[in-house]
Amino acid sequence: MSGEFIAFFILSLLTIGGAVFMISFTRVVHMVISLGVTFISIAGLFVLLGAEFVGVSQILVYSGAISILMLFGIMLTKHDAKDEGAGPSWKNRFALVFVAIVFGLIFWGIQNTPWAEPTQPVPSAVSNAKEIGIEVFTKYVIPFELLSVLLLVSLVGAIIMAKKEEDKP
Amino acid sequence: MSELLQQAPSLGNTLWFVLAAVVLLAVLLGFVTYAIYFERKVIGWMQLRIGPNRVGPLGLLQTVADVTKLLIKEDTRPKNADRALFTLAPILAYAPAFGVLAVMPFTESIQFADLGIGLLYYIALSGITVLGVITAGWASNNKYSLIGGLRSAAQMISYEVPLVMSVVGVVLLTGSMNLREIVEAQRDMWNIIPQFLGFVVFIIAAQAELNRTPFDLPEAESELVSGYHVEYSGFRFAMFMLAEYVYMFGMATLITVLFLGGWLPIIPQLDFIPGIIWFILKFSAYVFFQFWLRATMPRMRVDQLMSFAWKVLLPVALFNILLTAVVVSYQSGMF
Repeated sequence: MSGEFIAFFILSLLTIGGAVFMISFTRVVHMVISLGVTFISIAGLFVLLGAEFVGVSQILVYSGAISILMLFGIMLTKHDAKDEGAGPSWKNRFALVFVAIVFGLIFWGIQNTPWAEPTQPVPSAVSNAKEIGIEVFTKYVIPFELLSVLLLVSLVGAIIMAKKEEDKP
Repeated sequence: MSELLQQAPSLGNTLWFVLAAVVLLAVLLGFVTYAIYFERKVIGWMQLRIGPNRVGPLGLLQTVADVTKLLIKEDTRPKNADRALFTLAPILAYAPAFGVLAVMPFTESIQFADLGIGLLYYIALSGITVLGVITAGWASNNKYSLIGGLRSAAQMISYEVPLVMSVVGVVLLTGSMNLREIVEAQRDMWNIIPQFLGFVVFIIAAQAELNRTPFDLPEAESELVSGYHVEYSGFRFAMFMLAEYVYMFGMATLITVLFLGGWLPIIPQLDFIPGIIWFILKFSAYVFFQFWLRATMPRMRVDQLMSFAWKVLLPVALFNILLTAVVVSYQSGMF
C-alpha cells in the first residue's frame, strides 16, 4: 500500500463526505463549513496528481470564497434559521431516478473514453507554474485575455448595481 | 528531508515524519514562550518599567506560569453556543498556521518540503485562518464576538490583497516562486534594496494580517470587549493565542526569506558563520521590530482601516509591480 493510495483514500472520503453533509445539514454555516472541507480536499487531490499549482490556486480562490459565502450566510439569515427540510416524497423519488440516470450516463462516458496514455512520467520536481504560464501566454492567450475582460465586466457590473441601490432614498 | 517524502510509507519513516513535526512544534512552543516574555520585557523597558521579574530567575518562567494557569482553568462554553463549531474553530485557526511552516527553508539543509510554488502555498494556506475566525465569532452566539469576527474577516481579507501584490515584485525579479531559489537569487544584493517599495507595503500588510498594533482592531478590548474570542477560555483560548504567535513566526520567516536574504551572510567574507545563525539574527530583528511598533503606535480607527488598504497600499503595490516589470524587461533586453 503506497502513501499515495492512503492519501487518496482519505481525501476522496473527505471530498464525498463534505458534499453529502453539505446537502444534509440544515443550518447555513454548517453547510458552508462542509463545503469548505470538500473544496480543500479537492485541492489535496490536485496535489496528489502532481498539479501543485492548480491545487494551491484552488485553496487560494475557494478559502476566500467560502469566507465570503459564510459572511453572506450570517448576514442574510437569522442565527437559528433552519432549512425547511425535504419536500413531498414523490419529488424525492423523481430526484432519485434523475440522479441515477445522470450518474449512469457520466459513469458510462468515463468508462468508454479512450484516455491517452501519458507518454513520459511527469517529473515531480519541475515547477509547473512556469509550464502553465508558458502555455497560457502562448497557446491560450486569446481565451485568457477574454476571461480577464469578462472578470472586469462582472466587477464593473457589481459596482454599478451596488451604486444604484445606494442612490435610492 | 525531501528524499524521505519520496519513499513508500513504512513504520520507520512515518515515525520520522512524526518526530520531525514534534521537534518543529517544540521549537515553536519555545519560541512562543520566550517571544511573549521578550515582548513584555521590551515594552516594559520602553515604557520605563521593569517588566516581569518575579517568576524564576529574571522572570524567565513568567510565560510558563501564565500558560499553566490558562491550561488548568475551567473550560467554559456558553450554553447556546454551537457545540461542534465552537470546538472546531480554534483548530481551523491553528492548523494552517502550523501547516505553512512546512515549506519554509531555514537553511540550505533544514527544510521540510521543497515545493516549486512555496510562496503561493504560504499565502493560500494562511487564508484558511480567516474561516476559523468567522466560525469562532459565529459559533460563540454572542453579538460582540460576531461583530469582532466580521470585523477581523474584513480586515484580513482586505489586507491579503496588498500582501500578495507586494511579493509579485520579488517573484518577477527571481523568476520563481520557490523560496529556496528566491534566497539563492539574493547572493549579490538582498531584495530589500531593489524591492524597497514592495518591502514597505509587505511589512505594513503583514502587521494587519497578524492583527498586531497598529492594526490590532480584532482585539479591541475597549470597544468590542475583546473580539471574536470573548467566549473562549482555557485551552481553546490558548490555541487562538498560539496561532497568532505561530503566524508571527511564519511571517518573520517569510520576510527573512523574501527580503532579507534568508541564511545568506551580509558580506560573503562572513561565510564562516553558519547559515542558521544569520537566519536567527534577521528573524529576531523582525520580531523585535514588531514589539517596538507595539510600544510606539496607537491603534488605527476602523473607518481609516479599509480605505488605507484599498486606496493607499494597493495602488503602491501595483505601481511597484509595474516598475519591477519595466526594469526586468529592460534588463532582459526587450527594449
